[in-house]
Amino acid sequence: MTGMSERGPVPEAPVAHSPAGTGHGAFDGHHPPSRRRVEECVHCGFCLPACPTYGLWGEEMDSPRGRILLMKEALEGHIALDDVFVRHMDACLGCMACMSACPSGVRYDELIEATRAQIERLHRRGPLERAYREALFAVFPHPGRVRVAAVAAWAYQRSGLAGALHARRWPDRLPGRMGRWREALRALDGLMPPVSLGAVARPLPRQVGPHGAPRRRVGLVAGCIQRGFFAQVNWATVRVLVAEGCEVVVPRPQGCCGALMVHAGREASALRSARALVDAFEGWELDDVVVNAAGCGSTLKDYGRLLADDPGYAGRASGLAGKARDVTEVLAGLEPRARRHPVRARVAYHDACHLSHAQGVRSQPRQVLASVPGLEVVELGDDQCCGSAGIYNLVQPEAGEELGRHKADLVRAAGVEAVVTANPGCNLQLRRFLGPGVPVFHPVEVLDASLRGRPSLAGAQGV
Amino acid sequence: MVRGGGAVQVVRPADLAQAHEAMASSTAAGQLVSIRAGGTKQDWGPPLAPAPDLVVDTTGLDALVAHNAGDLTAVVGAGMALSRLQERLAGAGQWLALDPPSQPRGATVGGLLATGEAGPRRHRYGSLRDLVIGVTMVLPDGTVARSGGQVIKNVAGYDLAKLLCGSQGTLALVTEVSLRLHPLDAHSATVRIPATPTEATPLVVGLLAAPVVASALDWAGGALWVRIEGSAGGVRSQVEEVRSLAAEGSAPSAVLEGEEEARAWEELARIEAGEEGDTLAVATSLPSQLAEVAEASDRAAGEVGVAADLVSRAGLGLHTARLRAEDLGAHAGFISAWRRAVQRLGGTVVVRRHPPGLEEVADLLGPPPSAVEVMGRVKDQMDPGHRLGRGRFSPWWL
Amino acid sequence: MGALEEVKAELARVLPPDAVVTDPAELATYSCDGLAGYRTTPGLVVLPTSTEGVASAVRACSARGVPFVARGSGTGLSGGALPHAEGVLIVLSRMRRILEVDPVNQRMVVEPGVTNLAMSKAVAAHHLYYAPDPSSQVVCSVGGNVAENSGGAHCLKYGFTTHHVLGLEVVLPDGSVVELGGRTLDPPGYDLRGVFVGSEGTLGIATRVTVRLLRLPEAVATLVADFPDPSTAGEAVSGIIASGIVPAAVEMLDNLAIQACEAATGAGYSLDAGAALVVELDGPREECLGRFGEVEAICRGAGATRVRVAGSEDERALIWKGRKAAFAAMGRLSPGYFVQDGVIPRTALGPVLARIAHLASEAGLRVANVFHAGDGNLHPLVLYDPDRPGEPERAEELATRIVELCVDAGGSITGEHGVGVDKACSMPKMFSEDDLAVMARVRAAFDPAGICNPGKVFPTPRLCGEVIGPYRPHPLELAGVAERW
Repeated sequence: MTGMSERGPVPEAPVAHSPAGTGHGAFDGHHPPSRRRVEECVHCGFCLPACPTYGLWGEEMDSPRGRILLMKEALEGHIALDDVFVRHMDACLGCMACMSACPSGVRYDELIEATRAQIERLHRRGPLERAYREALFAVFPHPGRVRVAAVAAWAYQRSGLAGALHARRWPDRLPGRMGRWREALRALDGLMPPVSLGAVARPLPRQVGPHGAPRRRVGLVAGCIQRGFFAQVNWATVRVLVAEGCEVVVPRPQGCCGALMVHAGREASALRSARALVDAFEGWELDDVVVNAAGCGSTLKDYGRLLADDPGYAGRASGLAGKARDVTEVLAGLEPRARRHPVRARVAYHDACHLSHAQGVRSQPRQVLASVPGLEVVELGDDQCCGSAGIYNLVQPEAGEELGRHKADLVRAAGVEAVVTANPGCNLQLRRFLGPGVPVFHPVEVLDASLRGRPSLAGAQGV
Repeated sequence: MVRGGGAVQVVRPADLAQAHEAMASSTAAGQLVSIRAGGTKQDWGPPLAPAPDLVVDTTGLDALVAHNAGDLTAVVGAGMALSRLQERLAGAGQWLALDPPSQPRGATVGGLLATGEAGPRRHRYGSLRDLVIGVTMVLPDGTVARSGGQVIKNVAGYDLAKLLCGSQGTLALVTEVSLRLHPLDAHSATVRIPATPTEATPLVVGLLAAPVVASALDWAGGALWVRIEGSAGGVRSQVEEVRSLAAEGSAPSAVLEGEEEARAWEELARIEAGEEGDTLAVATSLPSQLAEVAEASDRAAGEVGVAADLVSRAGLGLHTARLRAEDLGAHAGFISAWRRAVQRLGGTVVVRRHPPGLEEVADLLGPPPSAVEVMGRVKDQMDPGHRLGRGRFSPWWL
Repeated sequence: MGALEEVKAELARVLPPDAVVTDPAELATYSCDGLAGYRTTPGLVVLPTSTEGVASAVRACSARGVPFVARGSGTGLSGGALPHAEGVLIVLSRMRRILEVDPVNQRMVVEPGVTNLAMSKAVAAHHLYYAPDPSSQVVCSVGGNVAENSGGAHCLKYGFTTHHVLGLEVVLPDGSVVELGGRTLDPPGYDLRGVFVGSEGTLGIATRVTVRLLRLPEAVATLVADFPDPSTAGEAVSGIIASGIVPAAVEMLDNLAIQACEAATGAGYSLDAGAALVVELDGPREECLGRFGEVEAICRGAGATRVRVAGSEDERALIWKGRKAAFAAMGRLSPGYFVQDGVIPRTALGPVLARIAHLASEAGLRVANVFHAGDGNLHPLVLYDPDRPGEPERAEELATRIVELCVDAGGSITGEHGVGVDKACSMPKMFSEDDLAVMARVRAAFDPAGICNPGKVFPTPRLCGEVIGPYRPHPLELAGVAERW
């Protein structure tokens, strides 16, 4: 492995690290994947059936244990962080289903995050791909820009432009050498949800008192995708928590929590975001830090490790991480107080990977749904990733599409009216493949409908 | 030694060393060798041809070498008669779960292994192939070898015992067999359900799908026979279940127990075993094809004017047709007509017991399977001179 | 061009591009199966999706004498799918279609890459299942099960793969395709299916498997009984067998194994028990539940300190999850460990366990025991620290001593993991030169050139050194009629 000079400017601000080639093989000295963690994998293969990409392609190099073996080979200096290596690491959804399946307790999350951070620093992608990734990261982790994009999406949908472009299948008309872009744009286009302008435009309250005697004081992480595309979920979260006796504060300013960047290995910007969020939540004396996006929640809970190297933040970060809860965890922990009205509907619950595998939160959302009279909740019998996985469906469109279709087929086979899932990424992905016939809700939207006495889910997405 | 003309030499080894001696010396003399124990199935399949120079009689290898009751295993000499073995094991409340029709006539463990013969309880326990856990064999060149062992669970090395099962004594002389045993059940009852094959077929399918564990599920003599064994309560409740399934559309069923039950099964075994001069042909099919196989048997029998009694291991899709002594031409006609029909169903027909000379007018084995070449190479490897049981797989190989 | 290069060129022509792997990093991910201690990077990996694809790969190898190795999910624990550096690894993980389900006749036809559990799941709606259930059933493929004659926890009552496979489509080492066995029982001719099952990939490659399915039992009853030590638990097993009950499964875990399982799964085993016995009965309701009471009483009579009966299907599933995760979970107790697989006559359990404990303390190592107590299949796990000089070697030696102990007790060097490359050198402990020679003759009938998974099962001087090991006395020597020298 040679030095950095040939690689040109690094897209991320460089992080101080020891030069490559000193006992870390192809990796540099700044948090390479831990050799000890790599050795914990005994190669038993129990992760294979859990891994969506192994399911798609049936090959070792796109399985968790295969990727770990690649990391090991790279650590031992037998292989370089070349295009082949990067392709297989990029192909990982980061769904962490393998961790739930692993009997040895291998920390695949730490390994893949460390590897991705190294790739972002040490590997130079092709120009088109680089530009595309930069463009994505220029929008997604920034709530303000997502909001602009959401308004643009609203306008796009209302203007008739969407129909016109769809009629002409605009992504198909891009020149051939833009193949990857074409797929990605098709994915992006398909993902745009129907946007409620009212919800996007109305800022969340800074602080709301509880109904009845106060039970907990919680702070809400408003998210970026959530705020941009699913503002109604944030509103529902606030209403439901308040109804259940929580005082809710929404600290400002709030940026991105850094999850998308962590998952993509963009370490420097991830740390910047994480520090800002730690600062934003400073001094509020909260019982819980409530998250309603699974991907954000898993990263928040990992803030302690993420900022461990930063003496100015390490302590506060792990304090925040210790308080982070998914909204369904908080609700399941509170004896229902507000009156539930029946909601007559048959819905499927889809486990968001970052909730079930990364946080181990499976029963709580089901418990919340079970508290709604009249609601029938169907299990899909397969907790495989839907293919959204953060921005995965935008950077690996073919695989994302195949997984999305598979999940949609399962939902259709279950014969339900709607799907409930606790992550905006999954929500977007499922909408795309289910079409308008089967709407997708967050669990709090369902509970909100019940508390507000809406007899069906048709009005659940009100503001 | 002059082949064909002279008297056949018979040796009766009393132990492995003598068995080795006999085989090794046959190599030097270039003798054709055949193996005989109880002699109950010498008239099965293609005959030995030309006649062997040496017959190895294994009835001297009849020791119960070991009975490890706590491990549910036994080691026996290949010449041990099955009925004698069962008597010895019964003392410990155990048995070799095998009830072949030839048992009363003195069938031995080795002979049953070589021919693969099994009885009604194969439905629950499988055949000897499924119960053998190790063998000691002497190859025609005198090589003594073992495969498997004395424990039920063992995957070390090739499972040569399986290869020897049903090999008609053409690959090696088996001298000793290790077996897995089963506990004897305390209670037994048989439900007899009068039914034609057409009526019986949906019942068979229904019984297979029901949570009933039958020991035997045979169709013969105009009825379906369902044997249930186990604890008193278990037998009672399952018999009820069987009768209620049967009640849905056939003549009233009867429950046989004790002596009456034993006599009924003996009678069915007598049909299935046949008598000298009979032809026994076995067809294979899927269980759901019972009616079609039986109908094909009736049609074939009608065409050539013979009577064919059918005993079907209905749950397994194994059907034995017995043709009584008639002219060979009629038997041959039945075999080819039945085989044509059964092959259309995806099955096979093989002739077991038959009168002398049938092989001249009928194809006893049917068309060779796709793996016949490898089978021939296995034979070449184990018995390069093709001296052991020559003729038994004719015309596939010598 | 070397022979392997020629094979590469030919296969690049006849197989789709994504079915041929040549990148060194990608090849490295196939360097080992579930026995990661042995690693060899294959010369070439192909991932065919059809019988024809497998046959073309085998023909290309056969024409040039290039060795090839078949691999399914790569979970084997004896290195049976260890690649050949100058050979082709034929990976069947993409052949995973369920071709046919015949619920009426309780049969199913699948491609070799279908996982064991997927088969049972696919037919569960018909109240059927595929009986062999190796611990790795969520991932191991049926092709691998055929090669290894896999068993599992329930094989005492229901038998092994060989009892459930009716027919095989096989690509022979010369590239020809034949059927062994069939959809109906007793096809005429030699039972080559019987010898193929368990031949560890040395006789050909199964490309299609026809299995029989069993009706799901009406009732299943499972209990976990705690005992002060494994020997007492063993007495309970003896009592159960002596009463004429054939349990669907009897599994034993010693204290160390319990610790590991609990750490991994929280299945509810008692951390302070010296041994835990999992006993499961199944069958028709009356039969099963009637006798289950007897089992409970036998356990208590033998000295069980606690008997927990699974109250629900979920609880039962959790008990099994704990048991089935045992091997891999050992990583939580020790950074390194060898999984051993040996069989003893069940009645020899007490003395053999005592001997293992003695050997372990002599070696200064910990041994955890997980075993199928009904059929005497032991899985001692020898724990060691790879960073302590000399400890891995001591552990390996102890594992070998244990398996030799099994043979001395009248058992076998392997009950279900197979011989593979791992135990090839132990084969002479169990089989004489002639025994092995006869097996080799059968092999030669299938694979005269010796290119099909070479270096497995049979001891070779290259693998084991010139002196292959102490031969077991020949049966004729025992009979006093022959001498070796």
